[in-house]
Amino acid sequence: MPKRNDRKSISKSIIFSLVFLVLGFIMAYSYSLSNQREAENDFSGGTFFEQKEQYRKELIEQQERNKELREELSGKQGAVQEFERSVTDGEEDYTAYAREAEELRRFLGLVPVKGSGLKVTLQDGDYSADYVNPNDYIVHESHVFQVINELYISGAEAIAVNGQRIHGNSNIVCTGPVIMVDGVQHPAPFTIEAIGSPDVLTASMQLAGGVQDQLVNDNIIVTLDEGLDIRMPALLSE
Amino acid sequence: MWISILGLLLGISLGLLTDVQIPPEYASYLSIAVLASLDTLFGGIRAHLQQVYDDKVFVSGFFFNIVLAAGLAFLGVHLGVDLYLAAIFAFGVRLFQNIAVIRRLLLAKWTEKRG
Repeated sequence: MPKRNDRKSISKSIIFSLVFLVLGFIMAYSYSLSNQREAENDFSGGTFFEQKEQYRKELIEQQERNKELREELSGKQGAVQEFERSVTDGEEDYTAYAREAEELRRFLGLVPVKGSGLKVTLQDGDYSADYVNPNDYIVHESHVFQVINELYISGAEAIAVNGQRIHGNSNIVCTGPVIMVDGVQHPAPFTIEAIGSPDVLTASMQLAGGVQDQLVNDNIIVTLDEGLDIRMPALLSE
Repeated sequence: MWISILGLLLGISLGLLTDVQIPPEYASYLSIAVLASLDTLFGGIRAHLQQVYDDKVFVSGFFFNIVLAAGLAFLGVHLGVDLYLAAIFAFGVRLFQNIAVIRRLLLAKWTEKRG
């Protein structure tokens, strides 16, 4: 009799443990599930605008960081130049190399430059009833190309479009009524500044049948300002 | 007794550790199952206090109520009738009744002991 009772109580407790296991499982599972849902709600609770705001904040942070890094870089470049200058002072042999490096850096657009040169302004032609297509009297990127190439050919040392330096890998793309220079949009009128001998640059622009004539043929208003003191930023400044 | 507590702890830990995702529309079944199991549990306690407790009734009621409640909710979803509300209502009312009876029984016992 006690044996039977024992077995009975064991089976009873096993059944009970099974019941409690199921109970605990269901309750804990539903608890964790609702917790999860709450967390998800928190995550997706941010509306579109909040997300946009967050992305904007991140972007600003990145830009600030970029600015810091750029400042650091320009500081380091200044240190390198200082070092080169000290080398120049010390040993005559390296003078030529350092000068060449300086010059090449100017060509690459890594340092801010100033000097006399030529300023070319290209402006859209006035609206005229004669032209049905507005493409016939607005400035296209090919016109900007023409001017830049002509200036480079005639010995320009540095060129900037609307204050943005042009370098060896620059790209200029036409995107509708504006042009993009290295991904930065610029609207008309386009001011192309070139540092070099003003006389030579002006003469080459004004060759008979040259760039200026072609541009005027395309109904573009071309303005040349020579002999100005032109300052250009380094390529790195945004 | 301790083995059932062990089972409870095991069940809780299993439930917390499982990260199986179920679609949100099935979450209501789970809540009904919780309600059904709680109802059966309190019913069992009441029966025990009233000395009409029976193992088979309790265990079969526990599982059968869970399955029935979930099945009813399932049926309701597919028929377009909110049958799970009926289950929640029924179990909720019974839960409160059971707890009220348990409280009364315990109070009666306590006053008996003192008196």
